[in-house]
Amino acid sequence: MAINPPSDNLPLAAVLRAANELVAADLIEDWALGGALAAIYYVEPFTTYDADIFFIPKDEGLTDGIPAIYAHLQSQGWQIEREHLLVGGFPVQFLAAVGLTEEAVREAERIDYEGVPAKVFRAEHIVAIAASVGRAKDKARIEQLQQQADLDKTYLENVLHRHNLKLPTL
Amino acid sequence: MKPEMRQKLAREPFAEKIRKVAQLIRLTKTFPRRLRLTDARPHGK
Repeated sequence: MAINPPSDNLPLAAVLRAANELVAADLIEDWALGGALAAIYYVEPFTTYDADIFFIPKDEGLTDGIPAIYAHLQSQGWQIEREHLLVGGFPVQFLAAVGLTEEAVREAERIDYEGVPAKVFRAEHIVAIAASVGRAKDKARIEQLQQQADLDKTYLENVLHRHNLKLPTL
Repeated sequence: MKPEMRQKLAREPFAEKIRKVAQLIRLTKTFPRRLRLTDARPHGK
């Protein structure tokens, strides 16, 4: 995959394409876009400085296969900066999914982003994950999703119940 | 911003919203918060 230099747009298509290549290379089982960019799929745009890719590891060892993932992406021209990989100067985190986030990957919505097939967390899972973390910005994200996304309340209640979570008081 | 306008932004195509995120990042980097500069000034003179 060719890596483009920093441009006026976020290199999200390159990120999603790279994640698909990790599946094709048998390095991960599945993946989905999570975090702030997943929330932006459902709500108005806001500033965020990285992309979070949650993946289900193929390698169930202690490292979740992360060294092989990093090596593969570096061979494609990605750079490493602290906990992030950089593509076109844009930071990307690859996070091993477990429990609630693994369920979010498996049940993520399939989308097409500029011709790249991708998966993005369902809004209900973003709410549940924010409820499980509980920082001020997570409460703000829940409120924003409740106001702007078409949440499936029954689905959300099921997710919250299965993971023993409650929505915070806003 | 009015809730109706925010709702309209939320309904835009994902690719368009990602372009707006890129614009917001550029603006944030070009115009860092003036508050920090104000806070750095000495007071009382």
